[in-house]
Amino acid sequence: MSAADLSLLRRPNDRLRRRRVVNRGMELLAWLAAALAVFFLGIVVWSVARKGASQLSLDLFTKSQPIGQFGTGSEKLGLANAFIGTLVIVGIATAIALPFGILIAIYVNEFAGKRIKNVVSLTLDVLAGVPAIVIGFFVYVLIVVGHGQSGYAAGFALSVLMLPLVSRSTIEVLALVPDSLREAALGVGAPRWRTTLGIVLPQTIGGVLTGATLAVARIAGETAPVLLVCSLVGQGNNWNPAQPLMTVPLAIFELSDQADAPEQALAWAGALVLILFILCTSLLARWLATRSRRKIAQADR
Amino acid sequence: MPRNGKLARISLVVAAAAAVAAVAVVTAGAASARSTAGTINGAGSTFVAPLVNKWMGPVQSNLGIQLNYSAVGSTAGVQDISTKQSDFGASDAPLSQFPQFQCPCVQIPWALAATAVVYNLGGSLQHLNLTGPVLAQIYLGKITKWNAGAIKKLNKGRALPDEKITVVHRLDGSGTTYNFTDYLSHVSHAWSSGPGTGTSVTWPVGLSGNHSSGVSALVHSNPGAIGYVDVDYAIVNHLQIMKMKNKSGHYVLPRAAGIKAAAQLDTHPAKDGSLSIVNPPASKKYRNAYPICTYTYVDVQKSSGAATGDLKKLIGWAITKGQSFGPPIVFEPLPKAVVTFDKKQLKKIHS
Amino acid sequence: MTSLDVSTDAARRPFSGRRVRLGDLLLQGAAAIAALGALVLVILIVWKVIQGARLSLSTFGLGFLTHVVWDPVHFKFGAASFLYGTAITSVGALILATPIAIGAALFLSELAPAGIRGPVTALVETLAAIPSVVIGLWGILVLAPFLRDHVDPALHSTLGFIPLFGPATYGSNVFTAIVVLTIMILPIIASISRELFLAVPTELKEGALGLGMTRWEMIRGVVFPYTRGGVAAAMILGLGRAIGEAIAVSMVIGGALGISINIFQPGQTLAGQIAGQFTSSTSALFTASLLYLALILLVFSIVVNLVAQFIVRRSARHVGSAR
Repeated sequence: MSAADLSLLRRPNDRLRRRRVVNRGMELLAWLAAALAVFFLGIVVWSVARKGASQLSLDLFTKSQPIGQFGTGSEKLGLANAFIGTLVIVGIATAIALPFGILIAIYVNEFAGKRIKNVVSLTLDVLAGVPAIVIGFFVYVLIVVGHGQSGYAAGFALSVLMLPLVSRSTIEVLALVPDSLREAALGVGAPRWRTTLGIVLPQTIGGVLTGATLAVARIAGETAPVLLVCSLVGQGNNWNPAQPLMTVPLAIFELSDQADAPEQALAWAGALVLILFILCTSLLARWLATRSRRKIAQADR
Repeated sequence: MPRNGKLARISLVVAAAAAVAAVAVVTAGAASARSTAGTINGAGSTFVAPLVNKWMGPVQSNLGIQLNYSAVGSTAGVQDISTKQSDFGASDAPLSQFPQFQCPCVQIPWALAATAVVYNLGGSLQHLNLTGPVLAQIYLGKITKWNAGAIKKLNKGRALPDEKITVVHRLDGSGTTYNFTDYLSHVSHAWSSGPGTGTSVTWPVGLSGNHSSGVSALVHSNPGAIGYVDVDYAIVNHLQIMKMKNKSGHYVLPRAAGIKAAAQLDTHPAKDGSLSIVNPPASKKYRNAYPICTYTYVDVQKSSGAATGDLKKLIGWAITKGQSFGPPIVFEPLPKAVVTFDKKQLKKIHS
Repeated sequence: MTSLDVSTDAARRPFSGRRVRLGDLLLQGAAAIAALGALVLVILIVWKVIQGARLSLSTFGLGFLTHVVWDPVHFKFGAASFLYGTAITSVGALILATPIAIGAALFLSELAPAGIRGPVTALVETLAAIPSVVIGLWGILVLAPFLRDHVDPALHSTLGFIPLFGPATYGSNVFTAIVVLTIMILPIIASISRELFLAVPTELKEGALGLGMTRWEMIRGVVFPYTRGGVAAAMILGLGRAIGEAIAVSMVIGGALGISINIFQPGQTLAGQIAGQFTSSTSALFTASLLYLALILLVFSIVVNLVAQFIVRRSARHVGSAR
């Protein structure tokens, strides 16, 4: 027994009490920290809900507020063009990123040797770490200069953001599929491509969808890349991606520095819808994840 | 694995449907031209946005043209028209300010208004007096409090608070900034040799807002703030407006009379269409002139393709009948000589 | 988190020597092209940004990093003001967010009663999902006035002897940006730390408790050393997030040039300047200078990422050897 332990025996009460007090104090701080984190969430969501709820009406989804359009008493006060634009652009991004991401995951997990696997995983991590605004600038220099802004450019920029998210989550679920399954398919003479696409991949659909859903939730709220490649939006067009389209986060960004109340309220309403959308997609993703987890557990038995 | 298969099949169906929808959107989009007949898309200055907004209804009913306008700032507007992303660009700064954008464009001054100096102090301190040099000192950060000697001297008898001046300016490329800094360069040697004139300058002090609306919002929400916006923004947002001293020694508000007087300074645009009416000299003619007035321009590509006919109709209407919509929002009708020049400029546009 | 814990090596799988089928070739080819595409994409991003910045690189060289100037009229640009702004806001946010995040993570992994654990974890992760523009909106319309009227003056009057807490007049300032960034990186650090704390082997924890340590002593003596690398990596990832944040910061930081130690003064970060001035470019040099800023950001984020990876790998090695 060390000297410290002996001292414990000699004066148990004082020292023990002090340690217990410190312990209590630290536990309290931990409680406070968690409460603070929840508090931040609560206060943001509450502000958005309180200020945005008043604007929730059918008008919000059917009328369009032109960007920067000066006009108190302007007849149109809604975000229809932004909702449509976001749907179109997110759709384009998903259409690009999803197949690309799944193919990368398949390569990493089914075909690549250890070295290539490390290189690709490093690439994906680096890609995931590039700030959204730099990616926006990249797409600007690549596509927009000389050809002009467009919804396609925004879709492409968002797909670059989505790619590592989709890839990484697909890689994780692919890895969970036991080798025994692949070997069994081999054993009955199935070719590799058939095994991968017809047997392994369907097992992971839940996980893939979870990853995709989370990625969609993430990019639906991205403003920076859209600001750089798809912000000079006219009023006539809502859905043609060959021209710049309004998106919800950009609308919020532009409306946020307006001085008059109706337009600020519109910004809050847009924020509310955005948060609700993200919450729903997160719940959906979570549900899909539990579902696929259960399925894989069943398959293992 | 029947349940797996079901989910997989559903996903495939959804994906297929989405793909079909995407193809439909793309083909439909590719089929439609940039501006369908009868639609004109413009972008640019927030300064002129209130007037353009007023034009939309009459243009639709009188000319059958649907006018779309995005108030994204003068620089963005010029950028847009140079890359043919829009049918016209609107800018308060002349094209010579944008050497980067090689725009084979015709520049037409199509509206005339003023930049108001706005501020936020208690209710009784409406219409304070200010001179150009003092304003420059404030924006240079040399005068930092509202009750500084220089300001008190101009406003004898008014109770100026012991409050810090929060300077507000614009971050984005703005024709209003150009007009404002042009004026400051005229009245202050320290300013012209320092930050200088431009749509985007280096500001020694203060906060930045985006667009005139952002500046209005910042001035509105920060007691003791001072900023510059198009005069109509100031009125609509109930901001306090400064009386600026002109060279003739009078303190003038940015109202119709003040703008009209200032416009006399230059009624013959330069060859490229630009005009400068900032800081008129001391003389009886300019006794009531407001010193920070500016023309604002519409820039159109010399060869404007399919939109040429509608553009000419639109601008022709704007510089004549459209001017009558100006006075209620403090835009002054164009002088006759300018209208004549504009009509000649219009002839330079062809398809 | 970052490293892929793939258990089996795909190349070891028994496929060699088989007859090559067209389908196999097509799939492997397509997948390989996709993987190569990702690599090409990263290289393309770096190359395009460098290319875009070339004019500014050649005009200003490395001096760009030390000049406090952004004068479009006289064609003089420099990043020093924004480098300082990025540094002080990110580091400030990290300092504020880390204790709260670790505290929350400890709570969720060690202290929370079973019923609260799930919901609160979900809530903290939802905080991460809130888009930056929404936090920026809340920041400029709710937080900034509140801080300007109640918090900043109080901090100045009590701590004003420290130059950091100078006179406070603006609502949009560096401090507001720090608070906004703290809220944004808090959930990242918290959720990663929480998973790390949960992964500490129970035997180690119970052994410590069995020796008579209080819970806090166990955490300090077992959990923290065990997860040190991972938590450091989480902090660095949070830092990287803060450095790259453009939108929320640009909405609340006031957009001012200059280096000031007073956090109640407005400022500007690299990302915020790009977002705010992007549409204002009036010259090729202006655009190239903005791209130079983007290049600095890109380099920062890659370095941060690699450092985090390195730390994770090193700590994994240590943990492996400890067993």
